[in-house]
Amino acid sequence: MNAVRIMWRITRLNFRAQLEYRTEFLMMIAIGAIWQVSVIVFATVLLTRFTGMGGWDSSDVLLIPATRMLAHGLFVLLLGRVHGLGRHIQEGKIDAYLLRPMPVYRQIQLQYFPTNAIGDLTVATGLMVGAISRSDLDWTAGRISYLIAAVLGGMLLEAALFTVVASASLRFPAADYWGRWLEELLGTFGSYPLNVLPRAVGGLLTYGLPLAFVAYFPAAVLTGHGHSTGTPYWLAAASPLLGLAAYLSARLLWRWSLNHYTGVNG
Amino acid sequence: MIGSIEVRGLSRTFHTTVRRPGFTGALRSLVNPERAVKHAVSDITFDVSQGELLALLGPNGAGKSTTIKMLTGILTPTSGEARVAGVVPYRERERNARNIGAVFGQRTQLWWDLPVRESFAILRDIYEVPRAEHAARLREFDDILELSTFWDTRVRHLSLGQRVRCDLAAALLHDPMVVFLDEPTIGMDVVVKEQVREFLRHQVEERGRTVLLTTHDMTEVERLAERVVLINHGRLVLDGTLDEIRRRFGSTWQVRATLADPHTPVGPLPGIVLVRRDGPQVVFGPDGPAAPTVHTALKLVIERYEVTGVAVDEADLEDVMRAAYVHANAEAV
Repeated sequence: MNAVRIMWRITRLNFRAQLEYRTEFLMMIAIGAIWQVSVIVFATVLLTRFTGMGGWDSSDVLLIPATRMLAHGLFVLLLGRVHGLGRHIQEGKIDAYLLRPMPVYRQIQLQYFPTNAIGDLTVATGLMVGAISRSDLDWTAGRISYLIAAVLGGMLLEAALFTVVASASLRFPAADYWGRWLEELLGTFGSYPLNVLPRAVGGLLTYGLPLAFVAYFPAAVLTGHGHSTGTPYWLAAASPLLGLAAYLSARLLWRWSLNHYTGVNG
Repeated sequence: MIGSIEVRGLSRTFHTTVRRPGFTGALRSLVNPERAVKHAVSDITFDVSQGELLALLGPNGAGKSTTIKMLTGILTPTSGEARVAGVVPYRERERNARNIGAVFGQRTQLWWDLPVRESFAILRDIYEVPRAEHAARLREFDDILELSTFWDTRVRHLSLGQRVRCDLAAALLHDPMVVFLDEPTIGMDVVVKEQVREFLRHQVEERGRTVLLTTHDMTEVERLAERVVLINHGRLVLDGTLDEIRRRFGSTWQVRATLADPHTPVGPLPGIVLVRRDGPQVVFGPDGPAAPTVHTALKLVIERYEVTGVAVDEADLEDVMRAAYVHANAEAV
Protein backbone atom coordinates (compact mmCIF):
# COMPACT_ATOMS: atom_id res chain seq x y z
CA MET A 1 0.00 0.00 0.00
CA ASN A 2 2.87 2.30 0.89
CA ALA A 3 4.43 1.52 -2.52
CA VAL A 4 1.24 2.59 -4.33
CA ARG A 5 1.05 5.77 -2.24
CA ILE A 6 4.66 6.61 -3.07
CA MET A 7 4.14 5.91 -6.78
CA TRP A 8 1.05 8.11 -6.83
CA ARG A 9 2.83 10.89 -4.95
CA ILE A 10 5.85 10.86 -7.29
CA THR A 11 3.62 10.74 -10.38
CA ARG A 12 1.57 13.68 -9.08
CA LEU A 13 4.71 15.71 -8.37
CA ASN A 14 6.23 14.82 -11.73
CA PHE A 15 3.03 15.88 -13.48
CA ARG A 16 2.97 19.16 -11.56
CA ALA A 17 6.61 19.73 -12.50
CA GLN A 18 5.73 19.31 -16.19
CA LEU A 19 2.78 21.69 -15.86
CA GLU A 20 5.05 24.46 -14.64
CA TYR A 21 6.68 24.68 -18.07
CA ARG A 22 3.47 25.55 -19.94
CA THR A 23 4.84 25.79 -23.50
CA GLU A 24 6.93 22.65 -23.12
CA PHE A 25 3.90 20.84 -21.69
CA LEU A 26 1.64 21.78 -24.61
CA MET A 27 4.35 21.02 -27.15
CA MET A 28 4.84 17.55 -25.69
CA ILE A 29 1.12 16.81 -25.98
CA ALA A 30 1.15 18.07 -29.56
CA ILE A 31 4.19 15.98 -30.46
CA GLY A 32 2.49 12.90 -28.98
CA ALA A 33 -0.48 13.47 -31.28
CA ILE A 34 1.53 14.49 -34.37
CA TRP A 35 3.75 11.44 -33.97
CA GLN A 36 0.68 9.40 -34.88
CA VAL A 37 0.06 11.34 -38.07
CA SER A 38 0.89 8.29 -40.23
CA VAL A 39 -1.84 6.31 -38.49
CA ILE A 40 -4.34 9.13 -38.91
CA VAL A 41 -3.48 9.40 -42.63
CA PHE A 42 -3.73 5.63 -42.96
CA ALA A 43 -7.17 5.60 -41.32
CA THR A 44 -8.40 8.51 -43.47
CA VAL A 45 -7.19 6.93 -46.73
CA LEU A 46 -8.57 3.56 -45.71
CA LEU A 47 -12.04 4.92 -45.00
CA THR A 48 -12.27 7.33 -47.96
CA ARG A 49 -10.53 5.42 -50.76
CA PHE A 50 -10.90 1.70 -50.03
CA THR A 51 -13.75 -0.60 -49.13
CA GLY A 52 -11.41 -3.03 -47.42
CA MET A 53 -7.99 -4.65 -47.21
CA GLY A 54 -6.83 -8.28 -47.31
CA GLY A 55 -10.42 -9.52 -47.24
CA TRP A 56 -11.35 -7.30 -44.29
CA ASP A 57 -13.91 -4.47 -44.38
CA SER A 58 -12.46 -1.00 -43.77
CA SER A 59 -14.35 -0.70 -40.49
CA ASP A 60 -12.82 -4.01 -39.32
CA VAL A 61 -9.34 -2.95 -40.42
CA LEU A 62 -9.75 0.29 -38.45
CA LEU A 63 -9.94 -1.78 -35.28
CA ILE A 64 -6.27 -2.83 -35.77
CA PRO A 65 -4.66 0.67 -35.57
CA ALA A 66 -7.15 1.69 -32.90
CA THR A 67 -6.20 -1.26 -30.68
CA ARG A 68 -2.50 -0.79 -31.34
CA MET A 69 -2.61 2.94 -30.73
CA LEU A 70 -4.50 2.59 -27.47
CA ALA A 71 -2.14 -0.16 -26.30
CA HIS A 72 0.80 2.04 -27.30
CA GLY A 73 -0.62 5.11 -25.54
CA LEU A 74 -1.07 3.15 -22.33
CA PHE A 75 2.42 1.73 -22.70
CA VAL A 76 3.87 5.24 -23.04
CA LEU A 77 1.85 6.41 -20.02
CA LEU A 78 2.47 3.51 -17.65
CA LEU A 79 5.62 1.63 -18.69
CA GLY A 80 7.24 3.67 -21.45
CA ARG A 81 10.27 5.03 -19.56
CA VAL A 82 11.96 1.70 -20.14
CA HIS A 83 12.39 2.85 -23.76
CA GLY A 84 15.61 4.80 -24.35
CA LEU A 85 17.21 3.62 -21.15
CA GLY A 86 20.73 3.42 -22.64
CA ARG A 87 21.35 7.14 -22.13
CA HIS A 88 20.30 6.95 -18.48
CA ILE A 89 22.56 3.94 -18.00
CA GLN A 90 25.50 5.87 -19.45
CA GLU A 91 24.71 8.81 -17.17
CA GLY A 92 24.95 6.43 -14.20
CA LYS A 93 21.33 6.88 -13.12
CA ILE A 94 20.92 3.14 -12.61
CA ASP A 95 23.64 3.36 -9.95
CA ALA A 96 21.54 5.92 -8.09
CA TYR A 97 18.43 3.75 -8.36
CA LEU A 98 20.33 0.80 -6.94
CA LEU A 99 21.00 2.85 -3.80
CA ARG A 100 17.33 3.20 -2.90
CA PRO A 101 15.20 0.55 -1.22
CA MET A 102 12.81 0.38 -4.16
CA PRO A 103 12.74 -1.83 -7.27
CA VAL A 104 14.88 -0.28 -10.01
CA TYR A 105 12.29 -0.95 -12.74
CA ARG A 106 9.69 0.99 -10.73
CA GLN A 107 12.09 3.89 -10.22
CA ILE A 108 12.73 4.01 -13.96
CA GLN A 109 8.99 4.35 -14.60
CA LEU A 110 8.82 7.16 -12.04
CA GLN A 111 11.62 9.24 -13.58
CA TYR A 112 9.29 11.81 -15.12
CA PHE A 113 5.72 12.21 -16.30
CA PRO A 114 5.35 11.29 -20.00
CA THR A 115 3.34 14.28 -21.18
CA ASN A 116 3.42 13.06 -24.80
CA ALA A 117 1.25 10.10 -23.70
CA ILE A 118 -1.65 12.56 -23.36
CA GLY A 119 -1.37 13.26 -27.12
CA ASP A 120 -0.99 9.58 -27.93
CA LEU A 121 -4.00 8.61 -25.87
CA THR A 122 -6.16 11.43 -27.23
CA VAL A 123 -5.58 10.29 -30.81
CA ALA A 124 -5.94 6.62 -29.83
CA THR A 125 -9.21 7.19 -27.98
CA GLY A 126 -10.62 9.13 -30.94
CA LEU A 127 -9.59 6.36 -33.29
CA MET A 128 -11.10 3.64 -31.07
CA VAL A 129 -14.40 5.53 -30.73
CA GLY A 130 -14.44 5.92 -34.51
CA ALA A 131 -13.63 2.25 -35.09
CA ILE A 132 -16.32 1.01 -32.69
CA SER A 133 -18.98 3.40 -34.01
CA ARG A 134 -18.32 2.33 -37.64
CA SER A 135 -18.19 -1.33 -36.74
CA ASP A 136 -21.13 -3.60 -37.57
CA LEU A 137 -20.22 -5.93 -34.73
CA ASP A 138 -22.53 -6.60 -31.85
CA TRP A 139 -20.56 -5.20 -28.91
CA THR A 140 -21.54 -7.70 -26.26
CA ALA A 141 -20.00 -7.69 -22.78
CA GLY A 142 -17.78 -10.59 -23.88
CA ARG A 143 -16.47 -8.70 -26.93
CA ILE A 144 -15.88 -5.52 -24.91
CA SER A 145 -14.02 -7.52 -22.23
CA TYR A 146 -11.88 -9.19 -24.88
CA LEU A 147 -11.12 -5.82 -26.46
CA ILE A 148 -10.03 -4.40 -23.08
CA ALA A 149 -7.91 -7.51 -22.45
CA ALA A 150 -6.41 -7.15 -25.95
CA VAL A 151 -5.47 -3.50 -25.34
CA LEU A 152 -3.85 -4.39 -22.02
CA GLY A 153 -2.13 -7.44 -23.57
CA GLY A 154 -0.85 -5.24 -26.42
CA MET A 155 0.50 -2.75 -23.91
CA LEU A 156 2.27 -5.52 -22.01
CA LEU A 157 3.67 -7.05 -25.19
CA GLU A 158 5.11 -3.71 -26.27
CA ALA A 159 6.49 -3.23 -22.75
CA ALA A 160 8.00 -6.73 -22.92
CA LEU A 161 9.81 -5.95 -26.19
CA PHE A 162 11.25 -2.70 -24.84
CA THR A 163 12.15 -4.36 -21.54
CA VAL A 164 14.19 -6.93 -23.47
CA VAL A 165 16.01 -4.09 -25.23
CA ALA A 166 16.51 -2.30 -21.88
CA SER A 167 17.94 -5.52 -20.39
CA ALA A 168 20.43 -5.67 -23.24
CA SER A 169 21.19 -1.95 -22.70
CA LEU A 170 22.29 -2.69 -19.15
CA ARG A 171 25.26 -4.48 -20.63
CA PHE A 172 25.51 -2.72 -24.00
CA PRO A 173 24.02 0.80 -23.83
CA ALA A 174 24.20 0.98 -27.65
CA ALA A 175 21.40 -1.63 -27.73
CA ASP A 176 19.16 1.41 -27.39
CA TYR A 177 19.28 1.78 -31.18
CA TRP A 178 17.38 -1.50 -31.41
CA GLY A 179 14.66 0.20 -29.40
CA ARG A 180 14.36 2.91 -32.02
CA TRP A 181 14.18 0.29 -34.76
CA LEU A 182 11.52 -1.55 -32.79
CA GLU A 183 9.46 1.61 -32.37
CA GLU A 184 9.73 2.29 -36.09
CA LEU A 185 8.68 -1.26 -36.95
CA LEU A 186 5.71 -1.24 -34.58
CA GLY A 187 4.53 2.06 -36.00
CA THR A 188 4.97 1.00 -39.62
CA PHE A 189 3.43 -2.48 -39.63
CA GLY A 190 1.19 -2.31 -36.57
CA SER A 191 -1.82 -0.90 -38.43
CA TYR A 192 -2.21 -3.46 -41.23
CA PRO A 193 -3.84 -6.85 -41.49
CA LEU A 194 -0.60 -8.79 -41.81
CA ASN A 195 -2.09 -11.14 -44.41
CA VAL A 196 -1.55 -8.38 -47.02
CA LEU A 197 2.19 -8.79 -46.55
CA PRO A 198 4.31 -11.55 -48.15
CA ARG A 199 4.02 -14.78 -46.19
CA ALA A 200 7.64 -14.67 -45.00
CA VAL A 201 7.28 -11.12 -43.68
CA GLY A 202 3.99 -11.99 -41.99
CA GLY A 203 5.65 -15.04 -40.40
CA LEU A 204 8.55 -12.93 -39.21
CA LEU A 205 6.20 -10.36 -37.65
CA THR A 206 4.34 -13.19 -35.92
CA TYR A 207 6.97 -15.62 -34.70
CA GLY A 208 10.15 -13.51 -34.98
CA LEU A 209 8.97 -10.19 -33.64
CA PRO A 210 5.51 -10.92 -32.21
CA LEU A 211 3.91 -7.75 -33.60
CA ALA A 212 0.85 -9.68 -34.83
CA PHE A 213 -0.19 -10.40 -31.25
CA VAL A 214 -0.42 -6.70 -30.33
CA ALA A 215 -3.47 -5.82 -32.43
CA TYR A 216 -3.80 -7.87 -35.62
CA PHE A 217 -4.76 -11.20 -34.03
CA PRO A 218 -7.09 -9.72 -31.37
CA ALA A 219 -8.83 -7.66 -34.08
CA ALA A 220 -9.07 -10.79 -36.28
CA VAL A 221 -10.67 -12.75 -33.42
CA LEU A 222 -13.13 -9.92 -32.67
CA THR A 223 -14.17 -9.44 -36.31
CA GLY A 224 -14.49 -13.13 -37.20
CA HIS A 225 -11.26 -13.39 -39.22
CA GLY A 226 -9.54 -15.44 -36.56
CA HIS A 227 -9.53 -18.64 -38.62
CA SER A 228 -7.92 -17.08 -41.68
CA THR A 229 -4.75 -15.62 -40.18
CA GLY A 230 -2.59 -18.63 -41.01
CA THR A 231 -2.00 -19.12 -37.28
CA PRO A 232 -3.92 -21.57 -35.06
CA TYR A 233 -7.08 -19.85 -33.81
CA TRP A 234 -6.36 -20.64 -30.16
CA LEU A 235 -2.96 -18.99 -30.44
CA ALA A 236 -4.40 -15.85 -32.03
CA ALA A 237 -7.18 -15.76 -29.40
CA ALA A 238 -4.66 -16.11 -26.60
CA SER A 239 -2.90 -12.85 -27.63
CA PRO A 240 -3.78 -10.97 -24.40
CA LEU A 241 -2.42 -13.85 -22.31
CA LEU A 242 0.69 -14.06 -24.45
CA GLY A 243 1.23 -10.34 -23.82
CA LEU A 244 1.12 -10.96 -20.08
CA ALA A 245 3.40 -14.02 -20.35
CA ALA A 246 5.88 -12.09 -22.51
CA TYR A 247 5.95 -9.22 -20.04
CA LEU A 248 6.53 -11.48 -17.04
CA SER A 249 9.32 -13.28 -18.92
CA ALA A 250 10.88 -9.95 -19.90
CA ARG A 251 10.82 -8.86 -16.25
CA LEU A 252 12.68 -12.06 -15.29
CA LEU A 253 15.26 -11.29 -17.96
CA TRP A 254 15.49 -7.72 -16.59
CA ARG A 255 16.08 -9.02 -13.08
CA TRP A 256 18.78 -11.39 -14.30
CA SER A 257 20.44 -8.61 -16.31
CA LEU A 258 20.36 -6.24 -13.35
CA ASN A 259 22.06 -8.86 -11.18
CA HIS A 260 24.81 -8.98 -13.80
CA TYR A 261 25.01 -5.21 -14.17
CA THR A 262 28.62 -4.12 -14.43
CA GLY A 263 28.08 -0.38 -14.15
CA VAL A 264 29.57 2.44 -16.14
CA ASN A 265 32.89 4.25 -15.74
CA GLY A 266 34.37 1.46 -13.67
CA MET B 1 28.79 -5.57 14.04
CA ILE B 2 26.10 -2.90 13.70
CA GLY B 3 27.37 0.08 11.77
CA SER B 4 30.67 -1.44 10.73
CA ILE B 5 32.12 -2.45 7.38
CA GLU B 6 33.95 -5.75 6.93
CA VAL B 7 35.73 -6.50 3.68
CA ARG B 8 37.42 -9.86 3.12
CA GLY B 9 39.37 -10.72 -0.02
CA LEU B 10 37.06 -8.65 -2.20
CA SER B 11 37.78 -8.81 -5.93
CA ARG B 12 36.09 -7.56 -9.04
CA THR B 13 37.16 -8.47 -12.53
CA PHE B 14 35.90 -6.92 -15.76
CA HIS B 15 36.23 -8.45 -19.21
CA THR B 16 37.03 -5.90 -21.86
CA THR B 17 37.99 -5.85 -25.52
CA VAL B 18 41.46 -4.59 -26.34
CA ARG B 19 41.28 -1.64 -28.76
CA ARG B 20 43.93 -1.93 -31.43
CA PRO B 21 45.31 1.37 -32.74
CA GLY B 22 44.37 2.83 -36.13
CA PHE B 23 41.61 2.09 -38.60
CA THR B 24 42.98 -1.34 -39.57
CA GLY B 25 43.32 -2.17 -35.92
CA ALA B 26 39.70 -1.22 -35.32
CA LEU B 27 38.61 -3.48 -38.21
CA ARG B 28 40.74 -6.34 -36.86
CA SER B 29 39.17 -5.87 -33.42
CA LEU B 30 35.75 -6.10 -35.04
CA VAL B 31 36.51 -9.37 -36.83
CA ASN B 32 38.80 -10.94 -34.27
CA PRO B 33 38.33 -9.21 -30.92
CA GLU B 34 41.06 -9.67 -28.37
CA ARG B 35 39.59 -10.10 -24.92
CA ALA B 36 41.36 -8.86 -21.83
CA VAL B 37 40.72 -9.31 -18.15
CA LYS B 38 40.90 -6.20 -16.00
CA HIS B 39 41.29 -6.72 -12.26
CA ALA B 40 39.63 -3.55 -11.00
CA VAL B 41 39.84 -4.71 -7.39
CA SER B 42 42.04 -7.61 -6.26
CA ASP B 43 41.73 -9.38 -2.96
CA ILE B 44 41.35 -6.40 -0.67
CA THR B 45 40.67 -6.82 3.04
CA PHE B 46 39.95 -4.10 5.58
CA ASP B 47 37.52 -3.13 8.32
CA VAL B 48 35.90 0.12 9.30
CA SER B 49 34.67 0.32 12.88
CA GLN B 50 31.43 1.92 13.93
CA GLY B 51 31.85 5.69 14.26
CA GLU B 52 35.09 5.73 12.30
CA LEU B 53 35.81 7.84 9.21
CA LEU B 54 38.12 6.03 6.84
CA ALA B 55 39.61 7.66 3.77
CA LEU B 56 39.94 5.27 0.85
CA LEU B 57 42.64 6.80 -1.29
CA GLY B 58 44.38 6.01 -4.51
CA PRO B 59 45.18 7.50 -7.91
CA ASN B 60 42.54 7.65 -10.66
CA GLY B 61 41.54 4.17 -11.80
CA ALA B 62 42.91 2.55 -8.63
CA GLY B 63 39.63 0.78 -7.85
CA LYS B 64 38.15 3.11 -5.22
CA SER B 65 34.79 3.62 -6.92
CA THR B 66 34.48 -0.07 -7.80
CA THR B 67 35.06 -0.91 -4.13
CA ILE B 68 32.38 1.56 -3.03
CA LYS B 69 30.00 0.20 -5.66
CA MET B 70 30.41 -3.32 -4.30
CA LEU B 71 29.85 -2.12 -0.74
CA THR B 72 26.71 -0.22 -1.71
CA GLY B 73 25.23 -3.16 -3.62
CA ILE B 74 25.57 -1.62 -7.09
CA LEU B 75 28.08 -4.24 -8.23
CA THR B 76 28.48 -7.88 -7.32
CA PRO B 77 32.06 -8.91 -6.55
CA THR B 78 33.74 -11.64 -8.55
CA SER B 79 34.99 -13.17 -5.31
CA GLY B 80 35.39 -12.37 -1.65
CA GLU B 81 32.91 -11.20 0.96
CA ALA B 82 31.68 -7.89 2.29
CA ARG B 83 29.32 -6.99 5.10
CA VAL B 84 27.96 -3.55 5.71
CA ALA B 85 26.15 -3.18 9.05
CA GLY B 86 25.85 -6.97 9.07
CA VAL B 87 24.25 -7.17 5.61
CA VAL B 88 25.84 -8.57 2.45
CA PRO B 89 25.09 -5.58 0.18
CA TYR B 90 25.01 -7.32 -3.22
CA ARG B 91 22.77 -10.15 -1.93
CA GLU B 92 20.25 -8.01 -0.06
CA ARG B 93 20.38 -4.77 -1.98
CA GLU B 94 17.16 -3.20 -0.70
CA ARG B 95 17.86 -4.13 2.94
CA ASN B 96 21.37 -2.73 2.62
CA ALA B 97 19.97 0.44 1.05
CA ARG B 98 17.98 1.13 4.23
CA ASN B 99 21.18 0.97 6.33
CA ILE B 100 23.39 3.14 4.16
CA GLY B 101 23.56 6.58 2.65
CA ALA B 102 25.71 7.37 -0.36
CA VAL B 103 26.83 10.43 -2.27
CA PHE B 104 28.58 10.25 -5.60
CA GLY B 105 29.90 13.78 -6.07
CA GLN B 106 29.48 13.88 -9.81
CA ARG B 107 25.94 12.48 -9.96
CA THR B 108 22.79 13.46 -8.22
CA GLN B 109 20.36 11.04 -6.68
CA LEU B 110 17.58 13.61 -6.46
CA TRP B 111 14.66 14.05 -8.83
CA TRP B 112 15.97 16.42 -11.47
CA ASP B 113 12.68 18.23 -12.18
CA LEU B 114 11.41 18.52 -8.63
CA PRO B 115 12.14 21.12 -5.95
CA VAL B 116 14.64 19.72 -3.45
CA ARG B 117 12.16 19.75 -0.57
CA GLU B 118 9.77 17.56 -2.59
CA SER B 119 12.61 15.09 -3.20
CA PHE B 120 13.28 15.03 0.53
CA ALA B 121 9.60 14.33 1.19
CA ILE B 122 9.59 11.45 -1.31
CA LEU B 123 12.66 9.97 0.35
CA ARG B 124 10.94 10.35 3.72
CA ASP B 125 8.07 8.19 2.38
CA ILE B 126 10.38 5.65 0.71
CA TYR B 127 12.40 5.15 3.89
CA GLU B 128 9.28 5.42 6.06
CA VAL B 129 10.72 8.11 8.33
CA PRO B 130 8.16 9.60 10.80
CA ARG B 131 7.22 13.16 9.85
CA ALA B 132 8.38 14.77 13.12
CA GLU B 133 11.73 12.97 12.92
CA HIS B 134 12.14 14.04 9.30
CA ALA B 135 11.40 17.68 10.13
CA ALA B 136 13.82 17.68 13.07
CA ARG B 137 16.60 16.14 10.99
CA LEU B 138 16.01 18.58 8.17
CA ARG B 139 16.31 21.48 10.65
CA GLU B 140 19.56 20.03 11.97
CA PHE B 141 21.01 19.68 8.46
CA ASP B 142 19.81 23.15 7.53
CA ASP B 143 21.69 24.64 10.48
CA ILE B 144 25.02 23.48 9.06
CA LEU B 145 24.42 23.23 5.33
CA GLU B 146 22.10 26.25 4.93
CA LEU B 147 19.72 24.36 2.69
CA SER B 148 16.61 26.45 3.27
CA THR B 149 17.91 29.25 1.05
CA PHE B 150 17.53 27.03 -2.02
CA TRP B 151 15.49 23.94 -1.12
CA ASP B 152 12.42 25.20 -2.95
CA THR B 153 14.45 25.33 -6.18
CA ARG B 154 14.32 22.50 -8.70
CA VAL B 155 17.42 20.32 -8.65
CA ARG B 156 18.21 21.13 -12.28
CA HIS B 157 18.63 24.81 -11.35
CA LEU B 158 21.03 24.33 -8.43
CA SER B 159 24.75 25.09 -8.52
CA LEU B 160 27.13 22.17 -7.97
CA GLY B 161 27.81 23.16 -4.36
CA GLN B 162 24.11 23.53 -3.57
CA ARG B 163 23.30 20.26 -5.30
CA VAL B 164 25.92 18.23 -3.44
CA ARG B 165 24.82 19.71 -0.11
CA CYS B 166 21.29 18.59 -0.94
CA ASP B 167 22.58 15.16 -1.96
CA LEU B 168 24.40 14.89 1.36
CA ALA B 169 21.26 15.76 3.28
CA ALA B 170 19.21 13.33 1.16
CA ALA B 171 21.69 10.55 1.87
CA LEU B 172 21.41 11.06 5.62
CA LEU B 173 17.73 11.89 6.08
CA HIS B 174 16.84 8.29 6.93
CA ASP B 175 19.54 8.21 9.62
CA PRO B 176 21.77 5.54 8.06
CA MET B 177 24.46 3.87 10.16
CA VAL B 178 26.98 3.78 7.34
CA VAL B 179 27.71 6.51 4.80
CA PHE B 180 29.70 6.20 1.57
CA LEU B 181 31.05 9.37 0.01
CA ASP B 182 32.71 9.19 -3.39
CA GLU B 183 34.52 12.50 -3.97
CA PRO B 184 31.75 14.54 -2.33
CA THR B 185 33.48 17.92 -2.57
CA ILE B 186 34.77 17.67 -6.12
CA GLY B 187 34.54 21.03 -7.91
CA MET B 188 33.33 22.97 -4.84
CA ASP B 189 34.61 26.33 -3.68
CA VAL B 190 36.55 26.49 -0.42
CA VAL B 191 33.69 27.94 1.63
CA VAL B 192 31.25 25.19 0.69
CA LYS B 193 33.97 22.56 1.11
CA GLU B 194 34.51 23.69 4.67
CA GLN B 195 30.77 23.64 5.31
CA VAL B 196 30.57 20.05 4.05
CA ARG B 197 33.58 19.02 6.14
CA GLU B 198 32.01 20.48 9.25
CA PHE B 199 28.83 18.61 8.48
CA LEU B 200 30.71 15.33 8.07
CA ARG B 201 32.70 15.88 11.25
CA HIS B 202 29.44 16.48 13.09
CA GLN B 203 27.92 13.29 11.64
CA VAL B 204 30.89 11.18 12.75
CA GLU B 205 31.63 12.74 16.12
CA GLU B 206 28.12 13.57 17.31
CA ARG B 207 26.02 10.97 15.52
CA GLY B 208 28.55 8.13 15.52
CA ARG B 209 28.10 7.31 11.84
CA THR B 210 30.61 5.15 10.03
CA VAL B 211 31.94 6.94 6.95
CA LEU B 212 33.95 5.63 4.03
CA LEU B 213 35.26 8.56 2.03
CA THR B 214 37.14 8.68 -1.26
CA THR B 215 38.75 11.95 -2.25
CA HIS B 216 41.77 13.43 -3.97
CA ASP B 217 41.69 16.39 -1.61
CA MET B 218 44.38 15.82 1.02
CA THR B 219 43.21 18.77 3.11
CA GLU B 220 39.95 16.91 3.47
CA VAL B 221 41.76 13.75 4.52
CA GLU B 222 43.83 15.67 7.02
CA ARG B 223 40.80 17.40 8.54
CA LEU B 224 38.48 14.40 8.65
CA ALA B 225 40.26 11.05 8.65
CA GLU B 226 42.38 9.37 11.25
CA ARG B 227 42.91 6.26 9.21
CA VAL B 228 43.69 5.80 5.55
CA VAL B 229 43.51 2.83 3.21
CA LEU B 230 45.52 3.26 0.05
CA ILE B 231 44.75 1.14 -3.00
CA ASN B 232 46.58 1.08 -6.27
CA HIS B 233 45.98 -1.06 -9.35
CA GLY B 234 43.11 -2.63 -7.40
CA ARG B 235 45.35 -3.83 -4.57
CA LEU B 236 45.47 -2.62 -1.02
CA VAL B 237 48.96 -1.27 -0.49
CA LEU B 238 48.63 0.48 2.81
CA ASP B 239 46.30 0.55 5.78
CA GLY B 240 47.22 2.79 8.67
CA THR B 241 46.72 5.96 10.63
CA LEU B 242 47.82 9.28 9.18
CA ASP B 243 50.67 9.37 11.70
CA GLU B 244 51.93 5.97 10.60
CA ILE B 245 51.79 6.99 6.96
CA ARG B 246 53.60 10.23 7.64
CA ARG B 247 56.25 8.32 9.53
CA ARG B 248 56.71 5.90 6.67
CA PHE B 249 56.56 8.23 3.71
CA GLY B 250 56.68 11.79 5.01
CA SER B 251 60.34 11.75 5.93
CA THR B 252 61.03 15.27 4.73
CA TRP B 253 60.33 17.24 7.90
CA GLN B 254 62.95 19.41 9.55
CA VAL B 255 63.04 20.98 13.02
CA ARG B 256 65.08 24.19 13.11
CA ALA B 257 66.08 25.42 16.57
CA THR B 258 68.09 28.34 17.94
CA LEU B 259 70.08 27.28 21.03
CA ALA B 260 70.18 29.60 24.03
CA ASP B 261 73.87 28.73 24.47
CA PRO B 262 75.70 28.43 21.13
CA HIS B 263 78.37 26.24 22.74
CA THR B 264 75.94 23.54 23.87
CA PRO B 265 77.09 20.16 22.50
CA VAL B 266 74.46 18.70 20.18
CA GLY B 267 74.06 15.04 19.29
CA PRO B 268 71.45 12.75 17.75
CA LEU B 269 68.16 12.00 19.48
CA PRO B 270 66.18 8.73 19.18
CA GLY B 271 65.21 8.46 15.51
CA ILE B 272 66.44 12.01 14.89
CA VAL B 273 69.66 13.08 13.22
CA LEU B 274 71.49 16.40 13.32
CA VAL B 275 71.40 17.62 9.73
CA ARG B 276 73.61 20.70 10.14
CA ARG B 277 74.82 23.24 12.66
CA ASP B 278 75.80 26.85 12.25
CA GLY B 279 76.63 28.39 15.63
CA PRO B 280 73.44 28.47 17.67
CA GLN B 281 71.35 27.41 14.63
CA VAL B 282 70.78 23.64 14.51
CA VAL B 283 68.66 21.62 12.11
CA PHE B 284 67.34 18.15 12.92
CA GLY B 285 65.80 15.64 10.51
CA PRO B 286 64.35 12.12 10.61
CA ASP B 287 66.72 9.19 10.91
CA GLY B 288 65.46 6.14 9.02
CA PRO B 289 62.10 4.38 9.10
CA ALA B 290 61.89 4.50 12.90
CA ALA B 291 61.87 8.31 12.91
CA PRO B 292 59.18 9.92 15.07
CA THR B 293 56.52 12.26 13.77
CA VAL B 294 57.41 15.91 13.51
CA HIS B 295 55.36 16.68 16.62
CA THR B 296 57.26 14.11 18.69
CA ALA B 297 60.57 15.33 17.28
CA LEU B 298 59.73 18.88 18.25
CA LYS B 299 58.86 17.77 21.76
CA LEU B 300 62.13 15.82 22.09
CA VAL B 301 64.24 18.76 20.89
CA ILE B 302 62.59 21.22 23.28
CA GLU B 303 62.91 18.79 26.19
CA ARG B 304 66.58 18.07 25.52
CA TYR B 305 67.92 21.55 24.70
CA GLU B 306 67.33 25.01 25.96
CA VAL B 307 66.16 26.87 22.88
CA THR B 308 65.18 30.47 22.22
CA GLY B 309 63.38 29.77 18.95
CA VAL B 310 62.05 26.85 17.03
CA ALA B 311 60.48 26.32 13.59
CA VAL B 312 59.18 23.31 11.70
CA ASP B 313 59.24 22.53 7.97
CA GLU B 314 56.98 19.65 7.19
CA ALA B 315 56.05 17.89 3.97
CA ASP B 316 52.29 18.29 3.58
CA LEU B 317 50.03 15.28 3.23
CA GLU B 318 49.96 15.70 -0.51
CA ASP B 319 53.74 15.13 -0.63
CA VAL B 320 53.41 12.20 1.73
CA MET B 321 50.71 10.57 -0.38
CA ARG B 322 52.70 11.22 -3.53
CA ALA B 323 55.61 9.39 -1.94
CA ALA B 324 53.28 6.58 -0.94
CA TYR B 325 51.88 6.28 -4.50
CA VAL B 326 55.39 6.23 -5.97
CA HIS B 327 56.38 3.57 -3.47
CA ALA B 328 53.26 1.53 -4.27
CA ASN B 329 53.93 1.79 -8.02
CA ALA B 330 57.54 0.72 -7.56
CA GLU B 331 56.39 -2.30 -5.54
CA ALA B 332 53.81 -3.21 -8.22
CA VAL B 333 56.57 -3.22 -10.86
